[in-house]
Amino acid sequence: MAQETASRKPRPRIGPDSEPFWAGCRRHELMLPFCKECGKPHLPPGPVCPHCFSGSLEWKKASGKGRISTWVVVHKAWFPAFADDIPYNVVQVELDEGPRLTANVVGTNALSVGQAVEVVFDDIDQDLTMPRFRLA
Amino acid sequence: MKINAALVGVGASKFGRFLPDSQLALAATAFKAALDDCGLQREDIDGLSIHMGWPLGLDYDRVADGFGLNLRYVNQSWLHGRFVTNALQHAALAVSAGLANVVACVTAISFTRERDFLGGPGDAEGNREEGGTHGESPPYGLTSPAGGAALSMQRYLAVTGASSEKLAAVPMAIRAHAVLNPDSIMRTPLTLEDHQSSRMIVDPLRLFDCCLINDGAVVVLLTSMERARDLKQKPVRIAGMQGMRSGRDEFIFAPPGLGIGQQPVGPVRSRPVDVEVYGSAGVDRSVVRALYTYDAFSPLPLFVLERFGFCGGGEAIDFVQDGAIGPGGKLPLNTSGGLLSEAHIGGWNHIREMMRQIRGTAGPRQIPDAQVLQWATAWGDSVIMTAA
Repeated sequence: MAQETASRKPRPRIGPDSEPFWAGCRRHELMLPFCKECGKPHLPPGPVCPHCFSGSLEWKKASGKGRISTWVVVHKAWFPAFADDIPYNVVQVELDEGPRLTANVVGTNALSVGQAVEVVFDDIDQDLTMPRFRLA
Repeated sequence: MKINAALVGVGASKFGRFLPDSQLALAATAFKAALDDCGLQREDIDGLSIHMGWPLGLDYDRVADGFGLNLRYVNQSWLHGRFVTNALQHAALAVSAGLANVVACVTAISFTRERDFLGGPGDAEGNREEGGTHGESPPYGLTSPAGGAALSMQRYLAVTGASSEKLAAVPMAIRAHAVLNPDSIMRTPLTLEDHQSSRMIVDPLRLFDCCLINDGAVVVLLTSMERARDLKQKPVRIAGMQGMRSGRDEFIFAPPGLGIGQQPVGPVRSRPVDVEVYGSAGVDRSVVRALYTYDAFSPLPLFVLERFGFCGGGEAIDFVQDGAIGPGGKLPLNTSGGLLSEAHIGGWNHIREMMRQIRGTAGPRQIPDAQVLQWATAWGDSVIMTAA
């Protein structure tokens, strides 16, 4: 059991404010909360618009396209479950809609700031699908 | 309320890796040394300000109980290095407001015994629903504060055209200070080749871009200026301070405008809100003789230099070249060797060094005319200390 725990990658903690985001991922749709008053989307998902403080939000499907705003390549196994993946990248992607999402780019660690990417969906199991990106 | 507070006593344990002592034992050594330093008695201490509690450090109740203190003021902050300034400022505020006569800032850390907590499976804070405060996202394998500093530095490199070789100037300069400090854990000079051949931790940060993980304690005692004048040592006055900045413009390890996390992208520059501390202290930035900062990762001093206006946006990487922040440089930075090379005592080893410099007891590291020194962090808070 202990070994199983050590080998398992952490799962996102999903709460009431972020559940629609993860539900969208399970449908292979990247969803963002938009403010009905000022029109701006935001991340991470919150109960009110952080731009105008309106509580009137609606979830809408995003384009899934964006650009790498920054990236790193991890060489140290802080978590045992990632040891076999080293070296692997983590990126922040500025979505075309504006907010930034942290994820990985699949298939390459040769990355640069400003590169165009598009979302892909990684079905972990029936309860969890994680958004990642590929070079566009 | 006018700030009326001085740092009057300081003590430390030894600093090292895998020390056998408990945090409370390290704290007891430092506490006794701080009392001896200024001539106060244990019974004089009626306030406690704790930077890091359990499990890395000590909770306030354990210190009070273990040392037999009778307290009428207690402050304890969230378990992060960044709250060093918060703990110091609350001590100064408490003394100024009369909530306590003498506040002890007690920081005793066993990083080596609790290292699983630092970015590993034991690090619950990184698993916060919306991501950790340094940009951690454990489901994607970004799990340590180092990751946050790397995210910022990678973009800084892209924006400025700088390189890892140029970043090496920061840890090399700080090591040069450490070599002059007998308390330092790292006491051999760091060469560019050492830096460039050290292993990559989280690209673009190499081993020597990351701070030490060690054990040790520092205790700092604060009281009012009136009381300070009657004690053994030359008082170190809190001349001015400004609090931590937070909001959508801020990412803990990036200057506003760099565009990390949800920060809007804009010109990185020192804004009036970034430098209120100089007005608070009644001094101009140009009289600051040395700068002290939380150098957990080598990019952080760059962001401090730019936020506080020692140079323009994107210029810090050039500012730090050629020994400018090293011994005898135009702006010495972290003259005891910092978190990168002296020890990681949550920044309190830096506060201790500032006290020594203003007292004039820094030995081979002594800065001439060290009358005005500044503590300032990448997340925007600051304390200016002066000779009384």
